[in-house]
Amino acid sequence: MDQFWKITLDLMVGFGETLKIFAITLALSLPLGLIIAFGSMSKFKPLAALTRAFVWVIRGTPLMLQLIAVYYGPGLVFGQMLLTAPAAVYITFTINYACYFSEIYRGGIESIAKGQYEAGQVLGMTKRETFFKVILLQVIKRIIPPMSNEIITLVKDTSLARVVTYYELIYFAQRYIKNAGLLWPLFYTAIYYLVFTAVLTFFFRWLEKKLDYFKA
Amino acid sequence: MNMLEVKNLRKRFGDNEVLKGIDLTLEKGEVLSIIGASGGGKTTLLRCLNFLERANSGEIIVGGRSVYSAQDGEKPVVTPEAQLSFGLVFQQFNLFPQYSVMENLMLAPKLRAKREAKQGASVKETPEAIRDRAEKLLATVGLSEKANAYPCQLSGGQQQRVAIARALMLSPDILCFDEPTSSLDPELTGEVLRVIRSLKSSDRTMIIVTHEMEFARHVSDKVIFMADGVIEEQGTPDEVFGNPQSDKLRAFLSAGEEK
Repeated sequence: MDQFWKITLDLMVGFGETLKIFAITLALSLPLGLIIAFGSMSKFKPLAALTRAFVWVIRGTPLMLQLIAVYYGPGLVFGQMLLTAPAAVYITFTINYACYFSEIYRGGIESIAKGQYEAGQVLGMTKRETFFKVILLQVIKRIIPPMSNEIITLVKDTSLARVVTYYELIYFAQRYIKNAGLLWPLFYTAIYYLVFTAVLTFFFRWLEKKLDYFKA
Repeated sequence: MNMLEVKNLRKRFGDNEVLKGIDLTLEKGEVLSIIGASGGGKTTLLRCLNFLERANSGEIIVGGRSVYSAQDGEKPVVTPEAQLSFGLVFQQFNLFPQYSVMENLMLAPKLRAKREAKQGASVKETPEAIRDRAEKLLATVGLSEKANAYPCQLSGGQQQRVAIARALMLSPDILCFDEPTSSLDPELTGEVLRVIRSLKSSDRTMIIVTHEMEFARHVSDKVIFMADGVIEEQGTPDEVFGNPQSDKLRAFLSAGEEK
Protein backbone atom coordinates (compact mmCIF):
# COMPACT_ATOMS: atom_id res chain seq x y z
CA MET A 1 0.00 0.00 0.00
CA ASP A 2 2.84 2.26 0.89
CA GLN A 3 4.32 1.61 -2.51
CA PHE A 4 1.03 2.37 -4.22
CA TRP A 5 0.85 5.87 -2.74
CA LYS A 6 4.49 6.51 -3.39
CA ILE A 7 4.04 5.62 -7.03
CA THR A 8 0.80 7.56 -7.27
CA LEU A 9 2.58 10.66 -6.03
CA ASP A 10 5.56 10.07 -8.29
CA LEU A 11 3.27 9.70 -11.29
CA MET A 12 1.56 12.89 -10.21
CA VAL A 13 4.85 14.66 -10.85
CA GLY A 14 4.95 13.11 -14.31
CA PHE A 15 1.37 14.17 -14.83
CA GLY A 16 2.38 17.70 -13.87
CA GLU A 17 4.78 17.65 -16.83
CA THR A 18 1.98 16.35 -19.03
CA LEU A 19 -0.24 19.19 -17.86
CA LYS A 20 2.53 21.66 -18.61
CA ILE A 21 2.66 20.58 -22.26
CA PHE A 22 -1.11 20.68 -22.39
CA ALA A 23 -1.47 24.15 -20.88
CA ILE A 24 1.36 25.80 -22.78
CA THR A 25 0.27 24.28 -26.08
CA LEU A 26 -3.30 25.39 -25.56
CA ALA A 27 -2.44 28.90 -24.43
CA LEU A 28 -0.25 29.48 -27.49
CA SER A 29 -2.04 27.52 -30.19
CA LEU A 30 -5.51 28.94 -29.60
CA PRO A 31 -4.51 32.49 -30.61
CA LEU A 32 -1.97 31.28 -33.19
CA GLY A 33 -4.67 29.14 -34.78
CA LEU A 34 -6.85 32.21 -35.23
CA ILE A 35 -4.00 34.05 -36.95
CA ILE A 36 -3.40 31.06 -39.25
CA ALA A 37 -7.13 30.93 -39.98
CA PHE A 38 -7.04 34.58 -41.06
CA GLY A 39 -4.04 33.78 -43.24
CA SER A 40 -5.81 30.94 -44.98
CA MET A 41 -8.84 33.16 -45.60
CA SER A 42 -6.78 36.12 -46.79
CA LYS A 43 -7.90 37.89 -49.94
CA PHE A 44 -4.21 38.15 -50.81
CA LYS A 45 -4.03 34.88 -52.73
CA PRO A 46 -0.32 34.01 -52.30
CA LEU A 47 -0.64 34.31 -48.51
CA ALA A 48 -3.75 32.13 -48.48
CA ALA A 49 -2.08 29.51 -50.68
CA LEU A 50 1.08 29.51 -48.59
CA THR A 51 -0.85 29.19 -45.35
CA ARG A 52 -2.98 26.37 -46.68
CA ALA A 53 0.09 24.52 -47.93
CA PHE A 54 1.68 24.88 -44.50
CA VAL A 55 -1.46 23.56 -42.80
CA TRP A 56 -1.48 20.66 -45.24
CA VAL A 57 2.10 19.70 -44.40
CA ILE A 58 1.55 19.93 -40.66
CA ARG A 59 -1.70 18.04 -40.71
CA GLY A 60 -0.37 15.58 -43.25
CA THR A 61 2.66 14.35 -41.30
CA PRO A 62 2.82 12.57 -37.95
CA LEU A 63 3.28 14.73 -34.89
CA MET A 64 5.96 12.31 -33.73
CA LEU A 65 7.96 12.90 -36.89
CA GLN A 66 7.61 16.65 -36.44
CA LEU A 67 8.91 16.38 -32.89
CA ILE A 68 11.94 14.46 -34.03
CA ALA A 69 12.57 16.87 -36.90
CA VAL A 70 12.38 19.95 -34.70
CA TYR A 71 14.45 18.48 -31.87
CA TYR A 72 17.11 16.56 -33.79
CA GLY A 73 16.90 18.36 -37.13
CA PRO A 74 19.22 21.27 -36.31
CA GLY A 75 21.78 18.84 -34.94
CA LEU A 76 21.71 16.78 -38.10
CA VAL A 77 21.90 19.75 -40.43
CA PHE A 78 24.22 22.13 -38.55
CA GLY A 79 25.88 19.69 -36.21
CA GLN A 80 24.58 21.76 -33.33
CA MET A 81 21.50 21.16 -31.18
CA LEU A 82 19.40 24.29 -31.18
CA LEU A 83 16.57 23.59 -28.81
CA THR A 84 16.13 21.97 -25.43
CA ALA A 85 13.63 19.12 -25.33
CA PRO A 86 10.90 21.18 -23.61
CA ALA A 87 11.33 24.04 -26.09
CA ALA A 88 11.12 21.65 -29.04
CA VAL A 89 8.03 20.04 -27.57
CA TYR A 90 6.21 23.32 -26.89
CA ILE A 91 7.03 24.73 -30.32
CA THR A 92 6.05 21.59 -32.22
CA PHE A 93 2.86 20.98 -30.30
CA THR A 94 1.84 24.62 -30.58
CA ILE A 95 2.32 24.75 -34.34
CA ASN A 96 0.70 21.36 -34.88
CA TYR A 97 -2.36 22.17 -32.83
CA ALA A 98 -2.65 25.71 -34.17
CA CYS A 99 -3.01 24.23 -37.65
CA TYR A 100 -5.81 21.93 -36.58
CA PHE A 101 -7.50 24.76 -34.68
CA SER A 102 -7.15 27.08 -37.66
CA GLU A 103 -9.31 24.82 -39.77
CA ILE A 104 -11.93 24.67 -37.04
CA TYR A 105 -11.87 28.47 -36.72
CA ARG A 106 -12.12 28.86 -40.48
CA GLY A 107 -15.14 26.61 -40.66
CA GLY A 108 -16.76 28.53 -37.82
CA ILE A 109 -15.99 31.97 -39.21
CA GLU A 110 -17.19 31.09 -42.69
CA SER A 111 -20.43 29.72 -41.30
CA ILE A 112 -21.49 33.06 -39.82
CA ALA A 113 -24.09 34.81 -41.94
CA LYS A 114 -22.83 37.72 -44.04
CA GLY A 115 -25.64 39.82 -42.62
CA GLN A 116 -23.86 40.02 -39.27
CA TYR A 117 -20.86 41.73 -40.87
CA GLU A 118 -23.13 43.95 -42.92
CA ALA A 119 -25.12 44.99 -39.87
CA GLY A 120 -21.84 45.94 -38.18
CA GLN A 121 -20.79 47.97 -41.19
CA VAL A 122 -24.01 49.94 -41.59
CA LEU A 123 -23.96 50.71 -37.87
CA GLY A 124 -20.59 52.36 -38.38
CA MET A 125 -18.57 49.72 -36.58
CA THR A 126 -15.06 48.99 -37.80
CA LYS A 127 -14.22 45.55 -39.19
CA ARG A 128 -12.22 44.85 -36.08
CA GLU A 129 -15.04 45.82 -33.75
CA THR A 130 -17.51 43.76 -35.72
CA PHE A 131 -15.27 40.73 -35.53
CA PHE A 132 -14.42 40.92 -31.86
CA LYS A 133 -17.73 42.23 -30.54
CA VAL A 134 -20.18 40.42 -32.79
CA ILE A 135 -18.69 37.55 -34.76
CA LEU A 136 -16.23 35.91 -32.37
CA LEU A 137 -18.65 34.76 -29.68
CA GLN A 138 -20.94 33.27 -32.31
CA VAL A 139 -17.96 31.45 -33.77
CA ILE A 140 -16.92 30.19 -30.34
CA LYS A 141 -20.39 28.86 -29.69
CA ARG A 142 -20.36 26.97 -32.96
CA ILE A 143 -16.89 25.49 -32.64
CA ILE A 144 -17.09 24.21 -29.08
CA PRO A 145 -17.90 20.62 -30.10
CA PRO A 146 -15.06 20.18 -32.63
CA MET A 147 -12.69 22.13 -30.38
CA SER A 148 -13.40 19.95 -27.37
CA ASN A 149 -12.65 16.92 -29.52
CA GLU A 150 -9.30 18.31 -30.56
CA ILE A 151 -8.41 19.44 -27.06
CA ILE A 152 -9.14 16.02 -25.61
CA THR A 153 -6.90 14.52 -28.29
CA LEU A 154 -4.18 16.89 -27.15
CA VAL A 155 -4.31 15.45 -23.63
CA LYS A 156 -3.29 12.07 -24.97
CA ASP A 157 -0.91 13.35 -27.66
CA THR A 158 1.28 14.77 -24.91
CA SER A 159 2.59 11.23 -24.44
CA LEU A 160 4.47 11.63 -27.73
CA ALA A 161 6.81 14.14 -26.10
CA ARG A 162 8.64 11.17 -24.62
CA VAL A 163 10.33 10.43 -27.97
CA VAL A 164 12.43 13.56 -27.66
CA THR A 165 13.32 12.89 -24.00
CA TYR A 166 10.65 15.06 -22.47
CA TYR A 167 9.79 13.26 -19.26
CA GLU A 168 6.03 13.16 -18.93
CA LEU A 169 3.57 10.78 -17.35
CA ILE A 170 4.15 7.71 -19.55
CA TYR A 171 7.91 8.04 -19.18
CA PHE A 172 7.60 8.21 -15.39
CA ALA A 173 5.51 5.04 -15.41
CA GLN A 174 7.75 3.17 -17.79
CA ARG A 175 10.74 3.66 -15.55
CA TYR A 176 9.12 1.25 -13.08
CA ILE A 177 9.33 -1.54 -15.61
CA LYS A 178 13.05 -1.10 -16.06
CA ASN A 179 13.96 -0.16 -12.49
CA ALA A 180 11.59 -2.24 -10.38
CA GLY A 181 10.03 -4.77 -12.70
CA LEU A 182 6.61 -3.25 -12.10
CA LEU A 183 4.23 -3.24 -15.03
CA TRP A 184 1.08 -1.92 -13.41
CA PRO A 185 2.12 1.75 -13.10
CA LEU A 186 2.12 2.01 -16.89
CA PHE A 187 -1.50 0.91 -17.11
CA TYR A 188 -2.34 2.91 -14.02
CA THR A 189 -1.56 6.12 -15.97
CA ALA A 190 -4.83 5.60 -17.86
CA ILE A 191 -6.64 6.76 -14.71
CA TYR A 192 -4.84 10.11 -14.84
CA TYR A 193 -5.81 10.66 -18.45
CA LEU A 194 -9.37 9.54 -17.83
CA VAL A 195 -9.88 11.80 -14.85
CA PHE A 196 -8.47 14.76 -16.70
CA THR A 197 -10.54 14.22 -19.84
CA ALA A 198 -13.59 13.84 -17.60
CA VAL A 199 -12.86 17.27 -16.13
CA LEU A 200 -12.49 18.70 -19.64
CA THR A 201 -15.68 17.05 -20.81
CA PHE A 202 -17.59 18.60 -17.93
CA PHE A 203 -16.02 21.97 -18.61
CA PHE A 204 -17.05 21.95 -22.26
CA ARG A 205 -20.54 20.82 -21.39
CA TRP A 206 -20.78 23.69 -18.92
CA LEU A 207 -19.49 26.13 -21.55
CA GLU A 208 -22.04 24.90 -24.07
CA LYS A 209 -24.81 25.39 -21.52
CA LYS A 210 -23.50 28.81 -20.70
CA LEU A 211 -23.80 29.88 -24.34
CA ASP A 212 -27.18 28.27 -24.72
CA TYR A 213 -28.96 31.53 -24.05
CA PHE A 214 -28.67 32.62 -27.68
CA LYS A 215 -29.08 30.96 -31.03
CA ALA A 216 -26.42 31.43 -33.65
CA MET B 1 -32.97 71.58 -50.15
CA ASN B 2 -32.13 68.16 -51.48
CA MET B 3 -31.29 65.72 -48.71
CA LEU B 4 -30.10 63.13 -51.16
CA GLU B 5 -28.93 63.36 -54.69
CA VAL B 6 -27.81 60.35 -56.67
CA LYS B 7 -26.16 60.96 -60.01
CA ASN B 8 -25.73 58.37 -62.72
CA LEU B 9 -25.06 55.48 -60.36
CA ARG B 10 -23.85 52.33 -62.08
CA LYS B 11 -23.08 48.91 -60.71
CA ARG B 12 -21.78 45.82 -62.48
CA PHE B 13 -21.32 42.29 -61.20
CA GLY B 14 -18.90 40.82 -63.70
CA ASP B 15 -20.49 41.41 -67.09
CA ASN B 16 -23.92 41.86 -65.62
CA GLU B 17 -24.84 45.52 -65.29
CA VAL B 18 -27.38 45.67 -62.48
CA LEU B 19 -27.69 49.45 -62.18
CA LYS B 20 -27.56 51.28 -65.48
CA GLY B 21 -27.29 54.89 -64.44
CA ILE B 22 -29.64 55.79 -61.61
CA ASP B 23 -30.51 59.43 -60.95
CA LEU B 24 -32.71 60.49 -58.12
CA THR B 25 -33.25 63.29 -55.63
CA LEU B 26 -34.99 63.30 -52.32
CA GLU B 27 -35.90 66.17 -50.10
CA LYS B 28 -35.59 66.23 -46.36
CA GLY B 29 -38.50 64.45 -44.69
CA GLU B 30 -39.58 62.73 -47.88
CA VAL B 31 -40.38 59.05 -48.04
CA LEU B 32 -39.41 57.25 -51.21
CA SER B 33 -40.66 53.80 -52.08
CA ILE B 34 -38.89 51.69 -54.64
CA ILE B 35 -40.99 49.01 -56.26
CA GLY B 36 -40.37 46.57 -59.08
CA ALA B 37 -39.91 42.92 -59.85
CA SER B 38 -37.10 40.90 -58.29
CA GLY B 39 -33.83 41.31 -60.14
CA GLY B 40 -34.68 44.84 -61.21
CA GLY B 41 -31.92 46.37 -59.12
CA LYS B 42 -33.90 47.77 -56.16
CA THR B 43 -31.92 46.02 -53.47
CA THR B 44 -28.62 46.66 -55.24
CA LEU B 45 -29.41 50.36 -55.32
CA LEU B 46 -30.09 50.34 -51.59
CA ARG B 47 -26.92 48.35 -50.94
CA CYS B 48 -24.90 50.83 -53.00
CA LEU B 49 -26.34 53.70 -50.99
CA ASN B 50 -25.25 51.93 -47.81
CA PHE B 51 -21.86 51.02 -49.28
CA LEU B 52 -22.43 47.30 -48.86
CA GLU B 53 -21.71 47.31 -52.57
CA ARG B 54 -19.42 49.89 -54.12
CA ALA B 55 -20.97 51.48 -57.16
CA ASN B 56 -18.62 51.33 -60.15
CA SER B 57 -19.38 54.91 -61.08
CA GLY B 58 -21.61 57.79 -60.16
CA GLU B 59 -22.00 60.14 -57.26
CA ILE B 60 -23.93 60.18 -54.00
CA ILE B 61 -24.54 63.56 -52.38
CA VAL B 62 -26.05 63.90 -48.92
CA GLY B 63 -27.15 67.29 -47.66
CA GLY B 64 -25.10 69.00 -50.37
CA ARG B 65 -21.93 67.12 -49.48
CA SER B 66 -20.52 64.55 -51.86
CA VAL B 67 -20.01 61.37 -49.83
CA TYR B 68 -19.19 59.03 -52.68
CA SER B 69 -17.89 59.74 -56.12
CA ALA B 70 -16.49 57.09 -58.41
CA GLN B 71 -15.17 57.08 -61.93
CA ASP B 72 -15.11 53.73 -63.64
CA GLY B 73 -12.35 51.53 -62.29
CA GLU B 74 -11.62 53.30 -59.02
CA LYS B 75 -12.86 52.35 -55.58
CA PRO B 76 -13.31 55.38 -53.38
CA VAL B 77 -12.80 55.13 -49.63
CA VAL B 78 -15.99 55.38 -47.63
CA THR B 79 -15.50 57.59 -44.59
CA PRO B 80 -17.24 56.79 -41.30
CA GLU B 81 -19.30 59.96 -41.72
CA ALA B 82 -20.44 58.86 -45.17
CA GLN B 83 -21.36 55.45 -43.82
CA LEU B 84 -23.41 56.95 -41.02
CA SER B 85 -25.34 59.29 -43.31
CA PHE B 86 -27.29 56.16 -44.17
CA GLY B 87 -28.96 53.60 -41.99
CA LEU B 88 -30.26 50.26 -43.18
CA VAL B 89 -32.91 47.89 -41.93
CA PHE B 90 -32.40 44.45 -43.44
CA GLN B 91 -34.90 41.96 -44.72
CA GLN B 92 -33.38 39.36 -42.36
CA PHE B 93 -33.16 41.80 -39.38
CA ASN B 94 -29.57 40.77 -38.65
CA LEU B 95 -29.78 41.45 -34.95
CA PHE B 96 -26.76 40.35 -32.94
CA PRO B 97 -27.97 37.11 -31.34
CA GLN B 98 -25.72 37.12 -28.28
CA TYR B 99 -26.86 40.55 -27.14
CA SER B 100 -30.10 41.54 -25.46
CA VAL B 101 -32.39 44.01 -27.16
CA MET B 102 -30.93 46.91 -25.16
CA GLU B 103 -27.37 45.80 -25.89
CA ASN B 104 -28.17 45.53 -29.59
CA LEU B 105 -29.26 49.16 -29.54
CA MET B 106 -26.34 50.44 -27.48
CA LEU B 107 -23.42 48.49 -28.95
CA ALA B 108 -22.60 50.66 -31.96
CA PRO B 109 -23.07 54.04 -30.22
CA LYS B 110 -20.96 52.87 -27.28
CA LEU B 111 -18.19 51.71 -29.60
CA ARG B 112 -18.37 55.03 -31.39
CA ALA B 113 -17.97 56.91 -28.10
CA LYS B 114 -15.02 54.70 -27.23
CA ARG B 115 -13.42 55.41 -30.60
CA GLU B 116 -13.88 59.14 -30.11
CA ALA B 117 -12.31 58.96 -26.67
CA LYS B 118 -9.36 57.03 -28.05
CA GLN B 119 -8.77 59.59 -30.78
CA GLY B 120 -8.74 62.29 -28.15
CA ALA B 121 -11.83 63.92 -29.60
CA SER B 122 -14.48 65.11 -27.21
CA VAL B 123 -16.96 62.31 -26.64
CA LYS B 124 -20.36 63.32 -27.90
CA GLU B 125 -22.43 60.97 -25.80
CA THR B 126 -22.07 59.50 -22.33
CA PRO B 127 -23.13 55.89 -21.66
CA GLU B 128 -26.08 57.22 -19.65
CA ALA B 129 -27.22 59.35 -22.55
CA ILE B 130 -26.93 56.36 -24.88
CA ARG B 131 -29.03 54.23 -22.54
CA ASP B 132 -31.56 57.00 -22.26
CA ARG B 133 -31.90 57.30 -26.01
CA ALA B 134 -32.13 53.53 -26.42
CA GLU B 135 -34.97 53.38 -23.92
CA LYS B 136 -36.83 56.12 -25.72
CA LEU B 137 -36.42 54.47 -29.11
CA LEU B 138 -37.50 51.15 -27.72
CA ALA B 139 -40.66 52.84 -26.50
CA THR B 140 -41.14 54.35 -29.96
CA VAL B 141 -41.22 50.90 -31.51
CA GLY B 142 -43.39 49.63 -28.65
CA LEU B 143 -40.96 47.14 -27.14
CA SER B 144 -39.99 48.64 -23.80
CA GLU B 145 -40.96 45.45 -21.98
CA LYS B 146 -38.56 43.42 -24.17
CA ALA B 147 -35.46 45.43 -23.26
CA ASN B 148 -33.73 42.45 -21.67
CA ALA B 149 -34.96 39.77 -24.04
CA TYR B 150 -32.65 38.10 -26.55
CA PRO B 151 -33.44 38.10 -30.27
CA CYS B 152 -34.24 34.37 -30.27
CA GLN B 153 -37.03 35.06 -27.79
CA LEU B 154 -38.75 37.55 -30.08
CA SER B 155 -41.13 37.10 -32.98
CA GLY B 156 -39.98 38.17 -36.43
CA GLY B 157 -42.03 41.33 -36.23
CA GLN B 158 -40.54 42.23 -32.87
CA GLN B 159 -37.03 41.53 -34.13
CA GLN B 160 -37.60 43.82 -37.07
CA ARG B 161 -38.88 46.58 -34.78
CA VAL B 162 -35.73 46.20 -32.67
CA ALA B 163 -33.68 46.41 -35.86
CA ILE B 164 -35.44 49.65 -36.76
CA ALA B 165 -34.70 51.12 -33.32
CA ARG B 166 -31.08 49.96 -33.62
CA ALA B 167 -30.70 51.73 -36.96
CA LEU B 168 -32.22 54.90 -35.50
CA MET B 169 -29.68 54.90 -32.66
CA LEU B 170 -27.08 56.17 -35.12
CA SER B 171 -29.38 59.02 -36.26
CA PRO B 172 -28.83 58.49 -39.98
CA ASP B 173 -29.76 61.29 -42.37
CA ILE B 174 -31.47 58.75 -44.57
CA LEU B 175 -32.98 55.56 -43.22
CA CYS B 176 -33.30 52.72 -45.72
CA PHE B 177 -35.46 49.64 -45.51
CA ASP B 178 -34.70 46.60 -47.63
CA GLU B 179 -37.96 44.68 -47.98
CA PRO B 180 -38.54 44.98 -44.24
CA THR B 181 -41.54 42.66 -44.16
CA SER B 182 -40.58 40.11 -46.80
CA SER B 183 -39.36 37.49 -44.36
CA LEU B 184 -42.26 37.94 -41.95
CA ASP B 185 -45.41 35.90 -41.62
CA PRO B 186 -48.35 37.87 -43.05
CA GLU B 187 -49.89 38.49 -39.63
CA LEU B 188 -46.67 40.15 -38.44
CA THR B 189 -46.19 42.61 -41.28
CA GLY B 190 -48.79 45.02 -39.91
CA GLU B 191 -46.92 45.88 -36.73
CA VAL B 192 -43.72 46.61 -38.66
CA LEU B 193 -45.44 48.72 -41.28
CA ARG B 194 -47.23 50.68 -38.53
CA VAL B 195 -43.90 51.46 -36.89
CA ILE B 196 -42.38 52.60 -40.19
CA ARG B 197 -45.39 54.79 -40.86
CA SER B 198 -45.12 56.31 -37.38
CA LEU B 199 -41.52 57.29 -38.09
CA LYS B 200 -42.57 59.55 -40.90
CA SER B 201 -41.84 63.09 -39.84
CA SER B 202 -40.61 66.30 -41.30
CA ASP B 203 -36.97 65.63 -40.56
CA ARG B 204 -36.74 61.92 -41.26
CA THR B 205 -35.90 60.96 -44.81
CA MET B 206 -36.61 57.37 -45.71
CA ILE B 207 -36.17 55.00 -48.65
CA ILE B 208 -38.20 51.81 -48.62
CA VAL B 209 -37.76 48.89 -50.99
CA THR B 210 -41.00 47.00 -50.69
CA HIS B 211 -43.46 44.60 -52.24
CA GLU B 212 -46.29 45.99 -50.10
CA MET B 213 -48.05 48.09 -52.71
CA GLU B 214 -50.84 49.35 -50.45
CA PHE B 215 -48.28 50.44 -47.91
CA ALA B 216 -46.08 52.12 -50.52
CA ARG B 217 -49.07 53.97 -51.83
CA HIS B 218 -50.01 55.36 -48.45
CA VAL B 219 -46.70 56.09 -46.82
CA SER B 220 -44.67 57.51 -49.71
CA ASP B 221 -44.25 60.97 -51.08
CA LYS B 222 -42.50 59.56 -54.09
CA VAL B 223 -42.48 56.21 -55.81
CA ILE B 224 -39.89 54.79 -58.15
CA PHE B 225 -40.54 51.77 -60.32
CA MET B 226 -37.35 49.99 -61.29
CA ALA B 227 -36.94 47.42 -64.01
CA ASP B 228 -33.79 46.00 -65.58
CA GLY B 229 -31.48 48.36 -63.74
CA VAL B 230 -33.14 51.62 -64.71
CA ILE B 231 -35.81 53.83 -63.23
CA GLU B 232 -38.65 52.96 -65.54
CA GLU B 233 -41.13 55.35 -64.03
CA GLN B 234 -41.38 57.70 -61.09
CA GLY B 235 -43.77 60.14 -59.54
CA THR B 236 -46.21 60.62 -56.69
CA PRO B 237 -48.01 57.49 -55.45
CA ASP B 238 -51.15 58.62 -57.24
CA GLU B 239 -49.31 59.03 -60.53
CA VAL B 240 -47.45 55.74 -60.32
CA PHE B 241 -50.26 53.58 -58.98
CA GLY B 242 -53.23 55.48 -60.39
CA ASN B 243 -51.97 56.34 -63.82
CA PRO B 244 -49.07 54.08 -64.87
CA GLN B 245 -47.54 55.10 -68.18
CA SER B 246 -45.29 52.25 -69.22
CA ASP B 247 -46.37 48.75 -70.20
CA LYS B 248 -43.87 47.28 -67.76
CA LEU B 249 -45.36 49.11 -64.81
CA ARG B 250 -48.89 48.27 -65.86
CA ALA B 251 -47.92 44.60 -66.16
CA PHE B 252 -46.17 44.69 -62.80
CA LEU B 253 -49.10 46.28 -60.98
CA SER B 254 -51.74 44.01 -62.48
CA ALA B 255 -49.63 40.94 -61.69
CA GLY B 256 -49.66 42.06 -58.07
CA GLU B 257 -53.42 42.47 -58.05
CA GLU B 258 -53.95 38.93 -59.31
CA LYS B 259 -52.22 37.59 -56.23
